[in-house]
Amino acid sequence: MFEIRTLRSRIGLQVLATLIAIPYLLPLLAMVQGSLAGRGFDNYVKVFDTGVVPTYFRNSIIVAGCAIVIVYACTMLAAFGFAKLRIRGKEVWFWMLLIALTVPEAVLLTPLFVTASTFDLYNELVAVILPLAALQVPFTVLLARSFFAGVPTELMEAGRIDGANVVRVFWHIVLPLTRPIAGAVVILTLINSWNAYLLPMLMLNDPNKQVVTLLPQYFLGQYTNDQTGILAAAVITSIPMILAYLLLQRTFERGLSAGALK
Amino acid sequence: MRSSDEAIIVGGRSNLPVAASRSTIDSADEDATIIPPPLRKRRAGRTNGKGRNLYGSGLPWILPALVLVIGMIYFSIGYTGWMSMLDWSGFILSPSEFVGPENYARMVQDEVFWRAMWHTAIFFVVTFTVQTAISFTFAAIMHSQIHLATVYKVVIFVPNVLAPAIMAPVFRVIFDANGSLNGVLETMGLGSLARPWLAEDFTAMAVVMLVTIWQWTGLSFILFYAAMSQIDPQILEAARIDGAGNLRTLWSIIWPLCRGTTIALATLGVIGSLKTFDVPWLIANGGPNHATEFLGTYIYQTMVEQKEFGYAAAISVALLVLAIVGGLLTRLGNRQSEGT
Repeated sequence: MFEIRTLRSRIGLQVLATLIAIPYLLPLLAMVQGSLAGRGFDNYVKVFDTGVVPTYFRNSIIVAGCAIVIVYACTMLAAFGFAKLRIRGKEVWFWMLLIALTVPEAVLLTPLFVTASTFDLYNELVAVILPLAALQVPFTVLLARSFFAGVPTELMEAGRIDGANVVRVFWHIVLPLTRPIAGAVVILTLINSWNAYLLPMLMLNDPNKQVVTLLPQYFLGQYTNDQTGILAAAVITSIPMILAYLLLQRTFERGLSAGALK
Repeated sequence: MRSSDEAIIVGGRSNLPVAASRSTIDSADEDATIIPPPLRKRRAGRTNGKGRNLYGSGLPWILPALVLVIGMIYFSIGYTGWMSMLDWSGFILSPSEFVGPENYARMVQDEVFWRAMWHTAIFFVVTFTVQTAISFTFAAIMHSQIHLATVYKVVIFVPNVLAPAIMAPVFRVIFDANGSLNGVLETMGLGSLARPWLAEDFTAMAVVMLVTIWQWTGLSFILFYAAMSQIDPQILEAARIDGAGNLRTLWSIIWPLCRGTTIALATLGVIGSLKTFDVPWLIANGGPNHATEFLGTYIYQTMVEQKEFGYAAAISVALLVLAIVGGLLTRLGNRQSEGT
């Protein structure tokens, strides 16, 4: 965008970019440095010695995995229905999803808490999985619907004429064409369910059922003012997401930016 | 595949009125394999008429999503609406009393509620402005043949994938009275600037905003970056020939062309500000003295700590109404700007 003619302006721009970027790096550096303060890697050993880390990770993987499966299935089916099939009152249903899009998590707290206690689902992962999936679905459907609309109807009709029923048309013709948006749906759900905090905090009280975002709090409770332990726990829980992002950079960026453009 | 495709096109064409088929012929010269828009529209209309026989109703397809959303979200909205008219401590066995609009009357007079609203507004204005300024500038720089562009991009984007709940404790440690920031200030001889950042009203809110900006700039950056890739280089070339400098081009050409992105980000910002919970809660627990109270944190406190489920539900209803109105208004704004 900028036209660079002289070496001086080239260097100036490079310096400016560095100056903007450094503040974004500093908290991460402070986190790693702080986690090694005092006893070095022993801080990490201490975190693992508590024995809760694998449990928290396992629970987070279950929550994210289940949410992804539910959101993916609901989204793909609904996007196909909304984009390509005839539905009575389609507009009404679609507006219902659009309005659900703006609903903040906090609105669901009281009723979900009461309902979960009534049905004895308090402290069960499903009490977190279902609301998380429900909060994600309106948005992913909206996203995927416009993508599905771009699939040529002629292709589907060709399949119909060749004798495939609507399920086979969906499975063999439409679904393979929608991989890019499926990637975005999976990444978005992964980030939002892995990073979710409010619902797990409310619903999961039993340490055997808690997820990684609650790990720093666990250390806050266990070792009061033990900053190194909290920071080491933060590093441990950040690493999987950072690695996933570095490996799937483009999918992440596309998924999140597709996510932002409603 | 190709032959059946063509068969459909031919079959469709014979049913078309004269006007539509004329345009078909016009554009057929340009690209015979692509079906021109008027024809496609026509055909879609026909599919709607006969679609019932061809594909069946789409209702079963959207049903799982609807059941999930209605079962979770709409059920909760209804339940919240009912609870907002009760005086109830939340325990199933404890008695609840129907009090009608009393909770709402209390809310309107609740000073903390209005402060939370005010915080949300200020929070949106500050975070949105700063974030947009940084990410827009940064996106423009990244489009200017800079070295190590990928490294810069990764650095600014990584905070996006990290959980606020994980990073908030880190920022707590940094801004603690005995934390690393004050330590750095001391060693630099700026000890007079050191203060308990999270214990003072103004600085606590500033830290909450800072963390949010840190976390979300990457997303705005990616969006602006994508928007700038769409700009025709010839427009920039023309501006240069007319004698516009770099800053002038940036302000008078690139910024207006990114308007759609800015509005999309504003929508996200409004809804995001209303949803704010993790950062103020984990950094300052909504304090000190409600200085970082948002609607989300206030609902949580009212419900979990004070066990006033009815009142928490009333605030939830207010939050819901604000979110829906905010979402609709920015959407309308978006549509209007597209029209002009």
